[in-house]
Amino acid sequence: MSVSASQPNIQMHVRQEDGVGVIAIQGEMTGFAEEALMNAYNEASDGACPVVLLDFSGLEYMNSTGIGLLVTLLIRAQRQSQRLLACGLSEHYRQIFDLTRLNEAIGLYDSQAEALAAVAAG
Amino acid sequence: MTTRALWRNRSRPQETPDTPPVKPPVAPAPVAPVVPLDIPAGDPLLAHLQANQSGVIDVERLALDSPGVRALRAAGVRLALPLVSQGELVGLINLGQRLSEQDYSSDDRRLLGNLATQAAPAVRVAQLVRQQQLEALERQRIEQELRVARLIQQFLLPKEVPAVAGWEVAAYYQPARAVGGDFYDFIHFPDGRIGFVIGDVTDKGVPAALVMATTRTLLRTTAEQLVAPGAVLERTNNLLVENIPPKMFVTCLYALLDPASGHLTFANAGHDVPYRRTAEGVVELRARGMPLGLLPGMQYEQHETTLRPGECVLLYSDGLVEAHSPTREMFGFPRLQALMAEPTDGNLVPFLLDRLRDFTGPAWEQEDDVTMVLLSAHGDGGPGDGREVLARFELPSRPGNERRAMEQVAEVVAPLGLPQIKLDRLKTAVAEATMNGMEHGNKYDEAIPVLIEVAREGDDLTVSITDRGLKQPIPEAEPPDLTAKLAGQQSPRGWGLFLIQNMVDEMHVTTDDVHHTVKLVVHLIAGGQRGSTE
Repeated sequence: MSVSASQPNIQMHVRQEDGVGVIAIQGEMTGFAEEALMNAYNEASDGACPVVLLDFSGLEYMNSTGIGLLVTLLIRAQRQSQRLLACGLSEHYRQIFDLTRLNEAIGLYDSQAEALAAVAAG
Repeated sequence: MTTRALWRNRSRPQETPDTPPVKPPVAPAPVAPVVPLDIPAGDPLLAHLQANQSGVIDVERLALDSPGVRALRAAGVRLALPLVSQGELVGLINLGQRLSEQDYSSDDRRLLGNLATQAAPAVRVAQLVRQQQLEALERQRIEQELRVARLIQQFLLPKEVPAVAGWEVAAYYQPARAVGGDFYDFIHFPDGRIGFVIGDVTDKGVPAALVMATTRTLLRTTAEQLVAPGAVLERTNNLLVENIPPKMFVTCLYALLDPASGHLTFANAGHDVPYRRTAEGVVELRARGMPLGLLPGMQYEQHETTLRPGECVLLYSDGLVEAHSPTREMFGFPRLQALMAEPTDGNLVPFLLDRLRDFTGPAWEQEDDVTMVLLSAHGDGGPGDGREVLARFELPSRPGNERRAMEQVAEVVAPLGLPQIKLDRLKTAVAEATMNGMEHGNKYDEAIPVLIEVAREGDDLTVSITDRGLKQPIPEAEPPDLTAKLAGQQSPRGWGLFLIQNMVDEMHVTTDDVHHTVKLVVHLIAGGQRGSTE
């Protein structure tokens, strides 16, 4: 169903750094975040950026619909031969990434710096 | 029974279906009509015939005057041959005048006497066979009627009991062989309230079943319009009075429960008074009112109370209190009230049934339907309870409200000092279960709330989330598999139930006709923990 009853509590900050599209996620990853996430992804991968990094350090809440959005994102990234990375996950959401095996498809790092260093190191 | 038969005048021998053919006369003769003869029961003629065993009676010479004798004479009967078998008059052969118009000779009379002696047992056997056939047919008819009555009742009784967080409902119904008119029903209201009905129709079998079906329908439609139990019974009574056979009526109790607050409103139409078990003892829930279907314009008292955690209310039928012991002692109200006060480990219903069986003995032939409906509020940690309700609240089914659910639950369980990681997992499970309830169960209808109960049960923390799922299963057919999802073989969504199952130690789902409850269990002691850091 389309949900519009509540205000989406989500903000995406996108920037490019060293050939990596970085999306800093602030707020709630729920069904409400779909449009914001897809827009941010388009912006981040503009110019065929080979790597997109999702920074979850500002994540307040992610539900199963949010996980579904990440799967959709992964499918798009695979189609465009892009790599998807993530950082800043709390222990709880790291466990959920383990549980759902998202950690096998998305490279996980503690911080943006660590992720960017890993990309730079090739 | 020897006298209610229809005696037939056989003014001449001829074939009838009841007797073996008698040898026809050589020459065709005019056929006289068979005149039916009615000999009233108690006619002295019958006693005379029976006493004159196998004798041939000359009707003209009978020194008797009675309606039976006059009837024989009027029909032109000359000789009457009583058919007596084992001292019992089973028939009569009546003969008119001989075709030759000569008198019956003594040879004729001897022959006829022998004939009567031999025919009597044969006629008796035929009568017995016929009687047995009729009795068998009657038994079949009664069995068929019982089957129909049982079918109607079983079709109309609820298939499931309400599954509501914070409450336990149990129902027991055991029809007597003859199938009495007991019934019970649960009526679910959109705001989460539940109506409890128990009733008993006078009479048994199909008539009772049909009146029960009518009453149930009237109660349901009226309850949906009027809600308040007193008004519901009043209107049902007025509608039923016009539609019920004379001398039949229905006793009925109607109670309306708000599960969120425990508030109970009830009215009673002459039914056995329910018992309420409280910490202080077992008390009656009294409300006056006439049975339904007797008189129009009746008023019904309506009373209300609030059930506290750990309390229960028993609705029952007279088949329970009026059961008899082998020594014809009655089970009775005082015994039931005393038994309800006894501490029981689990559900009260099996306990009461055990005591009933002890009382009636194993050879008990159940006299009437036995019906019980038990409504129990989960406990609050009273002595020996082991269960403590920490909070019970409702949330409108609005997108995003699952966050309120998880935050409120987190607040409630804060004093338990759960490790952060365990708390996070519980919060996710609560959010997912609430979201499922609001979306799949309540279709995001804000008028329909989800009910959430947080409780401590011994070493477990439980969170029960109830929606009005109307038996629709959560649409999550296969376990989610990331590889399949990435390959486009599964929808990217469908993680909810998987998450719930993996975030808590146990998950239990219960459903009824209307509600769907997911109970999440977290073990509070370390030994019960399951892979919180896999």
